[in-house]
Formats: sequence, structure tokens, C-alpha cells
Amino acid sequence: MRSGPSGLEDMKLRACRRISYLLPQAKRSSNEVLLIGEDMPDPINILVVDDEQIMRDGSSRILSKDGWEVLTADNGQQGLEIIRNQPDQIDVILLDLMMPGMSGMEVLDHIRSIDPNLLVIVITGYATVESAVEAMKKGAYDFIPKPFTPDQLRIVVRRALDKRNLQKEAEFLRREREKSLRDIATEKSKIKTIINCMGDGVLVCDRDGYIVLTNPAAGRMLKVSETSLIGNFLSQCNLDPELSMTIEESLKSKDLNYTSVSQELGIGESGETFLRAHTAPVRSDLGETMGSVTVLQDISHLKELDKMKSEFIAMVAHELRAPIAAVEQQLNVILNRVAGDLTEKQEKLLVRAKERTKGLLNLIKDLLDLSKIEAGRMVQYKEPLTLQEIIQKVVDLMRVEAENKKIDLQFPIPSQNPLIHADRTSMEGIFTNLISNAIKYTPEGGKVWVSLSEERGFAKALVSDTGIGIKKDDLPRIFDKFYRVRTIETRQIVGTGLGLSIVKSIVDAHLGSISVESEEGGGTTFTVLLPKESNPTS
Amino acid sequence: MAKKILIVDDDPDLVEAVSMILESKNYDVAAAYGGIEGLQKAKSENPDLIVLDVMMPDKDGYAVCKELKADSQLSKIPVLLLTAVVSKISTTRYTQQMGMETEADDYIDKPVEPEVLVKRIEALLSK
Repeated sequence: MRSGPSGLEDMKLRACRRISYLLPQAKRSSNEVLLIGEDMPDPINILVVDDEQIMRDGSSRILSKDGWEVLTADNGQQGLEIIRNQPDQIDVILLDLMMPGMSGMEVLDHIRSIDPNLLVIVITGYATVESAVEAMKKGAYDFIPKPFTPDQLRIVVRRALDKRNLQKEAEFLRREREKSLRDIATEKSKIKTIINCMGDGVLVCDRDGYIVLTNPAAGRMLKVSETSLIGNFLSQCNLDPELSMTIEESLKSKDLNYTSVSQELGIGESGETFLRAHTAPVRSDLGETMGSVTVLQDISHLKELDKMKSEFIAMVAHELRAPIAAVEQQLNVILNRVAGDLTEKQEKLLVRAKERTKGLLNLIKDLLDLSKIEAGRMVQYKEPLTLQEIIQKVVDLMRVEAENKKIDLQFPIPSQNPLIHADRTSMEGIFTNLISNAIKYTPEGGKVWVSLSEERGFAKALVSDTGIGIKKDDLPRIFDKFYRVRTIETRQIVGTGLGLSIVKSIVDAHLGSISVESEEGGGTTFTVLLPKESNPTS
Repeated sequence: MAKKILIVDDDPDLVEAVSMILESKNYDVAAAYGGIEGLQKAKSENPDLIVLDVMMPDKDGYAVCKELKADSQLSKIPVLLLTAVVSKISTTRYTQQMGMETEADDYIDKPVEPEVLVKRIEALLSK
């Protein structure tokens, strides 16, 4: 055992020298740690703390042969320094118990306080069982008595490394588990944050109709506090009845084709907030309904814009109408020869001019009707009526027009006379439009017939003709605003392209539906369905 | 003696056109170019019938009609309302047809065919 200030520097240098015998991967010992999820295993580092150089060099030589890296320290302080600097890097420590200065036992205590998991094999200088036992009690993993053979050393170190492997694996798994738990928690909080920050309202119900998830936007839109929603049954939340009904329907639906329902809701005492609600059932893999999700959008500003647009159209239309009406009135006077005689040519031109002003006036009237419907003012006087009475009136009015074109207009007395809840003027508008269209687009000598029946809670009216029909390409667009079918046959027919879109708006406002079937050259049939007065689901 | 008809409309072109129709049928015609003037002339001109426009800036046809019908001296004069367009969008034709907004004796859409106008006027005068 040497000591003294002269040799200390030299020894320190050597102690810190890292003896590295990195072998090619193929030759590496099978004992090397292969960590899960890592491509390159960390090198195995063994620290030898011994004051005797022979012991250090000998151990280094033996252990390096197995591909392990060996660090050496010639006293306890140095050893501890190395461990402190890289506690994760040291796998096994070989510690001599009998050293000058800090004793092995002391070093062991310190190591244990740095990291109790570090594996320490104590080297007992003279084979005393007592010191070995004491070291083991203090937490050493194993001991090896001096002198030892290279094989004895390897066996002891290998056993320690096996233990180290298990430790590392356990540690790795523990961290993974912690990480995934953390991930789940993060994911949950992320989703919660996203839902809470959303401008759209979210309402999630379980299969029993209890609200399990919602966000501040939903409460704001539905004008109820968020806390009064979560955990409560739908019917306890004072929600809009239409919305509650839709959610309950989606929960009850067993039909897999039932995907989602969109509806518009007026919220607030005077309906100042308009919401669009999309409700969809949530289904398990087996197609079982697990709950429902509703997303709410505030469309009040859209409605407001729409209203402004309609009012603007109405204003413009009014301003346009007066001068055109005056011009037509003047034409009427001239054509009536009140202002003097006309030549045949003059009359012909003026007749055409009057047709054009008439067309303009019709367009303006349609625009006004449309803006009225869009502003929600057209369908305001709903009352119980029979469609038969309405259709009969329109057919009587149209008879002259039909006879002028030699068209056979028929409305057989229906066997059923369904009662509906509707606005009379609007209903007259629908059938005036459809029947007058049928007459317009049917050549002379053709036939137009109207029929009325009942079908599953609906009044069903058909308007059919033997006219020129509608091309397949045009069919999907005929209810669009300003859409007109352009063909040679229709060129001479005056129209605004608004009639059918008005008809559709009216039908929609009455919760009905309209559809069309047609074949080019083979006539057209419009089908209008309107809910019956006594229909409980309407 | 020719019957006298008062035409009340803020659009001079319309007044002129209607006047020409009526004059060709040998009616005497008086004209007023606003609601207030219309009420004055109803008193001063002593017409047999009033053709009254609905949309006028100073006083609309409904208001004029109401005042006419409230006046015991004028209430017997038949009023033919010229409804170019309804004054308020919310007032649909339906409410007019139901007589909810007006006490006019008849109404007619503008522009009007001369024969239709003349027929309606004759009908009202012969009542």
C-alpha cells in the first residue's frame, strides 16, 4: 500500500485513464445488456477501486477481454468522484475493502447513498467472512476473496451483470409505463382543452340520455349553465324541446342508415339566437348505439345577413317596380288607342315591349316573394285547410289559359280530402306555379292533370303533364334560384327562374317535400308532400 | 252630366296615363299628386269616385282611405285602390284580400288594362 504526495498525481492520471477495448459487435459477449427499444446497447462499464496497481491492471485485463470497459480508481475518493460524475454509466463496481485513507466500508456507504441500486462487489483482502458479511449487510451485492482466478472474477462479475440487466429492464418498463400513463393524461387534458376552446358547442350523451361531456360554448348557445348540463338527464336540462327530441331519436335509432340530423333552432325568448345543430349517434363495433354527439353552431349572424340581403332585395325591387309599372301603364294607354291610332307595325312593336315589361314585373314579384319567404314573413298565417279546395280554385283560374292552348286540364275529385295546416296564399302560389308551368311547357293538344291523395301522414299532390320534359342534367338544378332550362322549345317561354325555388321554399317552410320525375320529351310529374294537420310527428 | 273621377297618385306619369283612359271614356278627371292633396281635392272637387294609389310618400293610400271613410260627407264616395305593391312587405296580399287593412270598395293591381279599369269603375258607379 503506497501513498504520498509525490506519486499521487501520477496515480490520479492513471486512475482516470479509461481502458477501452471496444470489440467489434459480432464478438461481443452474449452477456451484454440488450435494452428493449434500443438499437445500440450501451457499453458495459465496470469500475475497479483498489489501491494495488497489480489488482487494477489484472482485473482490467481479465474483464476487458470479455468486451467490457473498465475504469479504475486507486482510492475511495477517486472512485466516488467517477461514480458521481457518471452514475448511470457504471454498471458494476469492484471495491477493495482494505485501502488507505477512506476505507472500503466507508466508500460502500457513500455509494449506497449516491444510488442504492449500484451493484458493488467487495474484494476482501484476507479471507475473512466477517468483513464480507458486514459488507453484504451494508448492501454490497456480492464478494470475492483475494486471491482469485480470472474465472472466479468473471463468474462473480457476470452474475452481477445479469442482475444489472434485470434492473435496467425493470427500470425501462417502469419508465415506459409512467410515460404512457402520462401520455393518456396529457391526451385527456388536450382533448378537454380543445373541446373547451372550441367556438362550436359540444354535447355528448350516453346511451341513457345523460349528458357526459359538454363545453362552455354549448352552455352559452343553449343559454343554460354548463354545470347544469353535465351529469344530468336530457329532460332535466331545460333544453330546446326540438333538440332533446332529436337526441332521443338518435339514441333510440336502431337503423344503421341513421347517421346524422341537422336542424335549425331558435333559442331565447324571442328566438334571437339561431343555432344549427348536428346530432349523430355514436355506435360500437357491433352497431350498438353507445350515445350521441351534438355539435352546435351559432348562425345568428348568418341569419341576420340573410335577412339584410332579403330586405335589400325587397327595397330594390320596390324601387324598380314603380317606374316599370308606369311604363307599362303608358303602353297600355297607347295600345288601347286612347292616345290616337296606331299602325300595325307600331302596335306589333309595342306589344313586344309590353311583354318585356310584364316579364320584368313578374321577375320583381318573384324576387319580392322570395325575399318575403327568406325573411320568414310569407308563411305567417297558417290555418287548417283542405288542399282540394285550394287546388280546385287554382285549376278553375287556370282553365282559360289551358283552353287557349287547347290543353286538357283535369283535376278529378279525390277520394281522400286531407286537411293540412298551411298558409292559404302560399299554397295557392305553389299550385299556381306548378300548374302554370305544366301548361307553359306542354305543347298544344297535350294534357295536364292534378291528383290528390293521402300517404303515411302526408297529403300528396301530383301535378303531371305530357309536355317537353326536363333533361337529366337539368333535373337536380331546377329548384335553384334563377335556374332556367335553355332549349329551343323554352326560348319563347317567359319566366324568371325563380318560380320553382319559391315553390320549394314554401314547401320547406311547411315541413313538406317536393320532388320531380321527368323524361325528356316524355312529360313531367311534380310530387308535393305536406304534413297532415293531425300528424303528431309534424 | 259626366261623372267626375279623382285620381290620387304621386307618379305624374301614372296620373296622366289613367287620366287619358278615363277621358277617352268621357269622364271628368281631377288629379292630386299626394295623399294630403288628395284629401283636399276630395272635398273641393266633389268627385263621384276616387282612384287611390297605395304607396305615396306624404300619406299612403290606406291612411287616406281611412280618413275618407271616417268623414260623413265623403264616406259615400267609392274608392278604388291601386295596389302597385303592398306598402309593407309583411302585409301580404292575403291580408288585403281579407279586407283587414283597408276599407276600400275595390282594389286593382298596377299596371292595369284600360278595359279592366273602366269596367271596375262602371261597376262601382252603378252601385
